[in-house]
Amino acid sequence: MSTLVEINNIDKRFGGVHALKAVTFTIDTGEIHSLCGENGAGKSTLIKILCGAYIPNEGSITIDGRELPYGNVPGVGQLGVAVIHQESTAFLDLNAIDNVFIGRELRTSWGALNRKAMARETRELLARLQESLDIYKPLSQMTVAQRQMVTMARALAQKCKLLIMDEPTASLSKRETDVLFDNIARLKAGGVSILYVSHRMEEIFQLSDRVTVFRDGEHVGTEPIGNVDTQKVIQMMVGREVAEFTKRHEHKAHQGATALALDNLTSRPAFENISFEVKAGEIVGMAGLVGSGRSEIARAVFGIDNYQSGVIRVLGKAQRKGNVRDAMAAGIAMVPEDRQHEGLLLPLTVSANISMAVLQNLLCGPFLSKKKEGALAQEYIEELSIRTGSAHAVTSTLSGGNQQKVVIGKWLATQPRILILDEPTRGVDVGAKAEMYRIIRELAEKGVAIWVISSDMPEILHISDRILVMCEGRLKGELEGKSATQEDVMRLALPDLSEEGAILA
Amino acid sequence: MRKFILPLIQRREIGLIILIVLLTGVTAYINPSFLAVSNLMQILNNCAPVALISCGVMLVIVTAEIDISVGSLTGLLSAFIALLMSREQLGWNPFLVMLIILFLGALMGTVTGLLVTIGKVPSIIVTLGLLTALRGAAIKVLGGKTIKDYPESFRYLGTESLLGVPISVWIAIAAIAFTAWLIRWTRLGRRLYALGSNPQSAILLGLNERALKCFTFAFTGFLTAVATILIVAKLGNVEAAIGKGDELLIVTCVVVGGVSISGGRGQLAGVMLAVFLMVMIRTNLTYLQLGPEATKWERAIQGLFILAAVILDHVASHAKPAESEA
Repeated sequence: MSTLVEINNIDKRFGGVHALKAVTFTIDTGEIHSLCGENGAGKSTLIKILCGAYIPNEGSITIDGRELPYGNVPGVGQLGVAVIHQESTAFLDLNAIDNVFIGRELRTSWGALNRKAMARETRELLARLQESLDIYKPLSQMTVAQRQMVTMARALAQKCKLLIMDEPTASLSKRETDVLFDNIARLKAGGVSILYVSHRMEEIFQLSDRVTVFRDGEHVGTEPIGNVDTQKVIQMMVGREVAEFTKRHEHKAHQGATALALDNLTSRPAFENISFEVKAGEIVGMAGLVGSGRSEIARAVFGIDNYQSGVIRVLGKAQRKGNVRDAMAAGIAMVPEDRQHEGLLLPLTVSANISMAVLQNLLCGPFLSKKKEGALAQEYIEELSIRTGSAHAVTSTLSGGNQQKVVIGKWLATQPRILILDEPTRGVDVGAKAEMYRIIRELAEKGVAIWVISSDMPEILHISDRILVMCEGRLKGELEGKSATQEDVMRLALPDLSEEGAILA
Repeated sequence: MRKFILPLIQRREIGLIILIVLLTGVTAYINPSFLAVSNLMQILNNCAPVALISCGVMLVIVTAEIDISVGSLTGLLSAFIALLMSREQLGWNPFLVMLIILFLGALMGTVTGLLVTIGKVPSIIVTLGLLTALRGAAIKVLGGKTIKDYPESFRYLGTESLLGVPISVWIAIAAIAFTAWLIRWTRLGRRLYALGSNPQSAILLGLNERALKCFTFAFTGFLTAVATILIVAKLGNVEAAIGKGDELLIVTCVVVGGVSISGGRGQLAGVMLAVFLMVMIRTNLTYLQLGPEATKWERAIQGLFILAAVILDHVASHAKPAESEA
């Protein structure tokens, strides 16, 4: 087989983040090539370079021997690269014909649109995909699978040589997935190469000729599918050096009564039948892929989002649905995932942010007491060792780690009994991470029930007494913090694997 | 019930036709002379300038922008017509003046488009500024006077008929036909819808956002100039208040006609029906002999129509796809 795409030493940095490190591999003509890696391994960055959205810092990519016009999306399209993105890039208000032809419309000899020819070609392309839908209906009235077919028809119309598919089955039913796979096979038979990105091991093994694994921006390996098994691929995905945090903390403090209990909490499609408990003084880690429903559960527990059924109990008392005030009054605090938008008011001072959730305690008559506010802020600045010029510094001037501590300070001021931390160390440096872990442990020792959501595998293993693993909206399993390995967690977190390990009912 | 109401919301034209028929029936019952052909022609004549400008503003809104400066542009352009053409003033050749006015209209539209696309100022802010600035300029140019006395050859455009239909209506029909052709049969038209529907994807496909948006504003400016010429030719005098409040009427027509304020969706037929409905409401209020109270009601009705249209649009765009209802 001849080589279609040559990816040579591609390097990409975003500020201090090294997203792709000298990645080199090839894709053959008519090959289905799978690309795997954890969240943040660099898959998306590579796709964006391949489709012309990003310009690499170093290296080269050639297609059929011709160099890719980096950063020029239409130019890349002319070279025969088409992408089916995870999120819909279709024009929902337009019909199938327009979606297939927009940007390269067919015209009659006198310049008007050749609507007949475009309709005919659209029908033909869809027929090649064994799809017969109403081509005059706007895409907003079609199912996700039908929209995907229209996008594939567009790729076909462009005579594409390389089709990149980013998690195409994420929102498809089993039957729709089968149809999609038939079409992928058809494209392959027609000589089209496919770069298939997915978390679903079963699909990767069912479809691909070769598989490439990325880890932390590095190319770990490319193997013919016959040479590897699921075990091996997972190992390649997670096998990083974890020197810094390999030591588990031996906290195992005297755990108290059940502080938070979820009973069959359901909010389709985000999550279903979630039941677990967090005891006072316990640190429960929750792992899972991005989009597995973890943050949504946290939002429901904190009363931000409503849910369909199930019960949330705090210290044995059932909570009202969708009421943040109740949740706070019951002693729940939540440090959200997106601290810049949801956790902080960046233009305000550190003290204003820390006092935000407890203003009613800082009154002097009807007025806010600046003195009480300052004293409160000072208390948490010292307790959490927040590095800031003063309590009156503007929060946006602080580093990421210190901003995160301000968010934690704000919630500690409410004297919580249950603290939910969603990705508490995202985007903070190693030193700040270690300090965050110390703070979390100290809080647990004081008897606070702690629930940490994290996509950072070493972090989950390092900090948790117990690890819950989510997969596609379900609680897939529970692991002992002491004995779990990265492979154990990954096996539970990935969908479509034979279900082994502890499975919760 | 749901099966019956949803298509009604999604096919705005049907609802508008029902409203027009109802309103015609009620008004004809109260005042039978409403149905006279001459009156119908009068309503169509009143529709012409509104229809012209609506064609342009509709395309602007399809790309998810907005233009609320058209009323003031009408004011300023009519002041220029007065100054250049009136025999009391410079008394230039009417044909030359019309060419200048058409050019100025398109130019102003282009400038608006450039401010929006290159200046990256939201169009609501740019055109809000122009709404005030252009009106101010019109007042300054006219200096508080009412300018009369235009050549007869020019006045014909607003007063004469051809085959029993007012000339301004013929001109509006030509513009509507052109816009319909543009939307349906040209790349440009389809791309405007694509841009409004999903701007990010459109840009990724290599569509030229700046050029497309500038075109819609320039087209609006040009049609506003055409409408201004017809208005002045019909009135025969120019004062600073010409076109005041028209921007609200036109945005109402476009939105009530089923064009989504968030872009990408809407049919010209719906907009034209809405133009007819809104102008008919204005005319009927006069027929109901409410006197000076009429214009006050007109504003209230316009506002309510905008609200109703935006809420219906919201309902329609959040309705489940057809498959899941079956």
